[in-house]
Amino acid sequence: MSKLGFAVSIAFTYFTIIYLTGIGGLFSERSGIVNIGLEGLMIIGTVTGSFGAYYFGAKLGWGVPAGPLMGLLLGLLCGAAFASIHALATVTFKIDHIVSGVVINLVAVGLARFLSTIFFGQATQSDPGQPHLHVISIPLLSKIPEFGLAFQGLSPVVLLPFLIVFPVWWVLYRTRWGLRLRSAGENPEATRSLGVAVAPLRWEGVLLSGAFAGLSGAFLSVEIVNNWREGQTLGLGFIALAALILSNWSPTRLLGAAFLFGFAQAIPLALRDWPIIRSIPPQFVNMTPYVVTIVVLAGFIGKVRPPAAAGRAYEGTTT
Amino acid sequence: MAATVTAPPAAEGVSRGRPEWLERAVGQALALLLALVIALVLGSVIIVLYGESPIDVYRAILEAATTAKDGPAWVLAAATPLIFSALAVSICFKGGLFNIGVEGQYLVAMVTAAWAALHLDGILPGPLLMWGVLVFGMLGGIAYAAVPGVLKVKTGAHEVVTTIMMNGIAVSLVAWALNGPLKYTNAPAGENVDLRTDIFPSNARVPELGHLLGFGPAPHLSWLFPMAVVAAVIVWFIVKRMRLGYEARAVGASAGSAQAGGISIGSVQVKLFLLSGALAGLVGMQQILSNNASSTGGGYLPQNYEATLGFTGIAVAFLGQNNPIGIVFAAIFWAALSRGESILPIETEMPREFVIILQGILIMSVVITYTLARRRLDRRQTGRVIAEEEAVHEPEPPPTIQEVTA
Repeated sequence: MSKLGFAVSIAFTYFTIIYLTGIGGLFSERSGIVNIGLEGLMIIGTVTGSFGAYYFGAKLGWGVPAGPLMGLLLGLLCGAAFASIHALATVTFKIDHIVSGVVINLVAVGLARFLSTIFFGQATQSDPGQPHLHVISIPLLSKIPEFGLAFQGLSPVVLLPFLIVFPVWWVLYRTRWGLRLRSAGENPEATRSLGVAVAPLRWEGVLLSGAFAGLSGAFLSVEIVNNWREGQTLGLGFIALAALILSNWSPTRLLGAAFLFGFAQAIPLALRDWPIIRSIPPQFVNMTPYVVTIVVLAGFIGKVRPPAAAGRAYEGTTT
Repeated sequence: MAATVTAPPAAEGVSRGRPEWLERAVGQALALLLALVIALVLGSVIIVLYGESPIDVYRAILEAATTAKDGPAWVLAAATPLIFSALAVSICFKGGLFNIGVEGQYLVAMVTAAWAALHLDGILPGPLLMWGVLVFGMLGGIAYAAVPGVLKVKTGAHEVVTTIMMNGIAVSLVAWALNGPLKYTNAPAGENVDLRTDIFPSNARVPELGHLLGFGPAPHLSWLFPMAVVAAVIVWFIVKRMRLGYEARAVGASAGSAQAGGISIGSVQVKLFLLSGALAGLVGMQQILSNNASSTGGGYLPQNYEATLGFTGIAVAFLGQNNPIGIVFAAIFWAALSRGESILPIETEMPREFVIILQGILIMSVVITYTLARRRLDRRQTGRVIAEEEAVHEPEPPPTIQEVTA
């Protein structure tokens, strides 16, 4: 049973990555901009986050928690800055959203290598000695026999999804800005006819997606791996996209969807020694997260409804 | 990327007297030129920030690809897989599909091709083995591309996400094959061999081409390069002259109108995916049947195979503007830039990753300038058609909308 506890603790880690990235995608798609560049935005978050934690934490001697917090902040800001390319291409120049997203992903891989040579003097990984936040244990839950393992030794960032889920819901459904953002994604012409400019809303949606994906990437490299490594995002940006679809673009339902995909990630890592799983070649066990994603996507896609204008350029006047 | 619809024959007495196709070609060339200038200028800014001279850096890249020993052979050999890969991506683009899964398709194809090379030796004599291996590579690519294709049509699962997931699965499949069914058996006793397949029989190898052109054997320029060019011509023929190509362009331009016109969207999309998979199946052949071949052996599939050719193919397809012939040149240009990677740290102070950034900027600006140019040309064409029909209405002035600030 403690194995399951371990699996749940890993699932929590991936849940956090998938949820934060998914919330980013949610803001972008709710505003009408499809963002398949989430993976690339995460990659920028991983490399800049790692640099922030190392530079401020170890090199400048700010230590914990200032170093890792600066890393997370840097990842967030650089993610948003990089997302501005996607916003420029899709909102301002009205380039096909998928094309721009693909290019974002392609460019991010190269840019990460380039930044890494500047930051660390090597292209594919960061310097060691990067500090991370002190781990926490959840009171009460961590005392559960056997299963409590799932709630011990966690990065405090793991709490973030539970802290932001209500504010995000409130902003989207109870504020004027949220209503306008959603209307830009459902019917930009109607939005405009009511005198609300569509382009700034969509810019904001895309920049938020970059901020969340960048933060999520920084969380991965700063808090989980404690190192930047090329390719460490492992397609999680795309898995977040699948979780977003499964959640029907809802911040609350995204909690469950992200946990499902997070748990799929944990199976090859934590349950490898289970008798049933040990009889399967390990390479096939490693496929689990991808297979789960495909199955879920194929099974649910017709049953959810994306924002009506997502992926469609708003051809109105420039503002 | 919407397919460029074939230009209708230019109407007589068009206002400027220039045929429409010429105007389009000039517009696209200008867009490419503009994108190149933007990339070179932004690249220069980075170089200057690094304290280097842009002229020196660009000259070093150019010389590595042209005047250096065997430079052109290296470039053409590196361009070979990129041509196949970009063609595979572009054939799907024509139908409005994004095959991001060329990556996984060629990995699986390398496994099926390696299997064929090792198991069909006695069955297919002489040079037939090589053709058999190529066919098995294509079949592997087709089978692996069929999955996202069918899922897209049957369930609507977006091919971008499914193909990315299939790429992840493919990496594990290759690892499984190399650890299990295809693991080498003929390692020299006592020697530690990196994980790989057995060495293929020498008649699986694709023959060298470089020595016929006066190049050394090092770059492994093979007959796969002309095959890639032929593949580009075939794709061009399919897209421009065959029913499938016409239907694909119709679906890519407007799925709704295509359906209304009696085209079965699902059937076209599955066919495109299969065709794309066949092309993707040839991407890995240069490395396993030529680069890894020695004077005695016909190549092998190692654990540290060259990956990401499928993703680079997307960039090359964009750069070649989704045109099969354009892709051949785009692949050569891309490979020439990449050739500069190895020379930069030797000749200059720039890190080799600068080339990747330059390629990234180029692809970003190309995508934007092409789209803007095409939109402009389309608008001009629409305007001309309206003028020809003499359907002149008084355009209503747009209503002034008062900004309601929050």
